[in-house]
Amino acid sequence: MIELVDLTKKFKQMYAVKNLNMFIERGEIVGLLGPNGAGKSTAISMLSSLVEPTGGDVRFDNKSILKNPAAFRKIVGMVPQNIALYTDLTAEENLLFFGRIYRLGGKELNRKVDEVLEQIGLTDRRKDVVKNFSGGMQRRLNIGVAMLHDPEMLIMDEPTVGIDPQSRNYILETVKRLNEERGMTVLYTSHYMEEVEFLCDRIYIMDKGNLIASGTKDEIKQILSSEKTILIRADRINGKFVEALEQHSLINRVTIGEKEVTILVPREANVFSEIIKLAESTGLELLSVDNKTPTLEDVFLHLTGRALRD
Amino acid sequence: MIWQIIKKQGLLFWRNPQQLLLFLALPIILIAILGAALGSDFQNESSPIKMKVALLEHGEEQKEIEQFLADLHEKLPTEAVVAIENTIDTMAPIRSLRSVLESEEVSNFLEVNHFGSSEKEEIKDDDSYTAIIEVPESFSYDVLESIVLEKTEPPTLLVTYNEEQQVRTSIISNFLTQFQEQLTKGSFLGKNGIDLYTIEIQPIKGQVISINEKNPVSASSYYTIGMTVMNVLFLAGAIAYYAFHEKELNVFNRIILANVSRWVYFMGILTAGTIFAFIQTMIIFTFSWLVYGISFPNIVDFLIVTFSFSLSVGGLAVLLSALSYRLNSETITNFFMNIIATLLAVLGGSFYPIGDFSPLIQTIGNMTPNGAGLTAYLTLLRGDGIAGITDNLMFLVMFSLLTVIVAAICFPKRGVAA
Ligand SMILES: Nc1ncnc2c1ncn2[C@@H]1O[C@H](COP(=O)(O)OP(=O)(O)OP(=O)(O)O)[C@@H](O)[C@H]1O
Ligand SMILES: [Mg+2]
Repeated sequence: MIELVDLTKKFKQMYAVKNLNMFIERGEIVGLLGPNGAGKSTAISMLSSLVEPTGGDVRFDNKSILKNPAAFRKIVGMVPQNIALYTDLTAEENLLFFGRIYRLGGKELNRKVDEVLEQIGLTDRRKDVVKNFSGGMQRRLNIGVAMLHDPEMLIMDEPTVGIDPQSRNYILETVKRLNEERGMTVLYTSHYMEEVEFLCDRIYIMDKGNLIASGTKDEIKQILSSEKTILIRADRINGKFVEALEQHSLINRVTIGEKEVTILVPREANVFSEIIKLAESTGLELLSVDNKTPTLEDVFLHLTGRALRD
Repeated sequence: MIWQIIKKQGLLFWRNPQQLLLFLALPIILIAILGAALGSDFQNESSPIKMKVALLEHGEEQKEIEQFLADLHEKLPTEAVVAIENTIDTMAPIRSLRSVLESEEVSNFLEVNHFGSSEKEEIKDDDSYTAIIEVPESFSYDVLESIVLEKTEPPTLLVTYNEEQQVRTSIISNFLTQFQEQLTKGSFLGKNGIDLYTIEIQPIKGQVISINEKNPVSASSYYTIGMTVMNVLFLAGAIAYYAFHEKELNVFNRIILANVSRWVYFMGILTAGTIFAFIQTMIIFTFSWLVYGISFPNIVDFLIVTFSFSLSVGGLAVLLSALSYRLNSETITNFFMNIIATLLAVLGGSFYPIGDFSPLIQTIGNMTPNGAGLTAYLTLLRGDGIAGITDNLMFLVMFSLLTVIVAAICFPKRGVAA
């Protein structure tokens, strides 16, 4: 359905997106993962024809949309990363305004507004001014506005940042339902691995403008097939212990949290007794040592040596 | 589509009471404060001001003229004296002063009473006089002598102003200054005019009234218009703020993604700026009409001026919006709101009719949208028709056109700074 070919965007001397190749088929939920500044929003802006690429092409049903974006714009709904709403207006007024901008009117518009309010669970708050909404409610309306014109495809740029778990679940469930019930195609951007794992069939991972991995969930986790993750928890991590871990020949990578250390080791290695020994010799009080099932987070860690979020 | 954008802008204003307060209450409060400062004169000036002036003649002009001509025979050849005798009527200073003061137009608002020197103390105690013009003995003789014989010492006319009637006082003073200029210009033979020697005049607070033969414009009207045209300028900035906010919030992107041309959006800002400037102007003028009775003789002319002025504000709004889109910052709008608007207000004469100082300043003032608006409104208020202000209207329309063109050039294409 939509295809990015060597898409590139340069700001001054810096590549925000470099030679990005991606495709999305009808009815898929595709995840686009990456830490801050990875280039996700820039990629999406080019995809939706808001930003002109420095190079490459965006193709919709095999036709370039760079020169003629109107047809694609008609079928796409865009959920921007920030709250793109009139906060001084009510939820209903926002929906009515954007509906009219999409050339809806009369009974059709009213029906559509009712339907969207129902979908995002804001029917009983429709007459309230948006600035009095909670962050989660504003996010929901931000999504609702993008659905007014019955788009075939939703592009969502981090639609769940900074909201409570309840609203977050609501949004995730809504996206899943739209996909299952209506066959809505979704491009979902996030730096929350769990969201992408929950929602997406296929995943693209970006870092510093480059695509560093892509494929289905399982395919991506295969990247980790040679390694496993072990989580060590302690009351207080001390430097000596970390140093000892880092110097250990079997341990590939050490990531330090406040009360935990994550290490990557070869799949067949048995390092439990080693860890306990190291802890004893450095005076560390262990709480637990666990084998972790790999997550996308671990994949990212493996690929970049950095955590997705600080 | 443009209508949707305008409606939304209206709704946004409506939801921001502070903004409404700023746009409507502030000018009204300013007008009211000035009204209080200008005193009781402010309230009832819708009917032209009525003034009383006492003309106190210590000598007799006719006798002085005869004396002057007789004396002239001894100094000049007869032919020259005869020539002067023939034009003496136009040179007689008191006669020409009286002919102006007592002309039909002026007598509408000015009543002149004549007194002899014996009655001086009596009039001085009478508060109803705005000014007493004292003509000293042999004044006419001296004027003629200074004109004809080019004597350097100009004679002096004494004017005593009633300090309690400041607005009226300033009208008279202005009037006499004009008369003085006229006389000086008219005295083809002489270089020296009459020096108006004024005594007992209190400093006037700053209300100066432009005098026109048809209708004087009161200080209240002047400042009502001045404050209005100034405050409407701020509306342009406010609309630009909203527009830039829409860009920052990505609302603009949403509009673009709905396949709405950016030119439709552009026109939306221009039209919204024009319409809301129009509404704002109408509300403030309606207020000053209801409260201060300031009314325009011809409503159609008034609407034409209001529309032209509003159009220039719309142009400013779209120019500021386009520039802030281009520069991706609202600095330009801040600069306009904090500095340029005030500068325009000063130049355009909103605070003080600085155009009175020199024709050059007046010309510059008329090259500001608010100044052109002010001049146009004042002209209408004086009873002149639309014909007298075609220059101002032309300027306003050209100004709008220019701002729109520059704005269109600056308005970024997709991808430039989106
Ligand atoms: N208009 C711009 N001008 C200059 N640099 C830009 C511009 N937009 C983005 N960038 C830069 O491009 C890089 C990618 O930014 P982008 O917003 O696409 O990242 P992102 O993956 O969406 O990050 P986040 O998760 O924080 O939203 C960043 O380094 C950013 O500073
Ligand atoms: Mg982003």
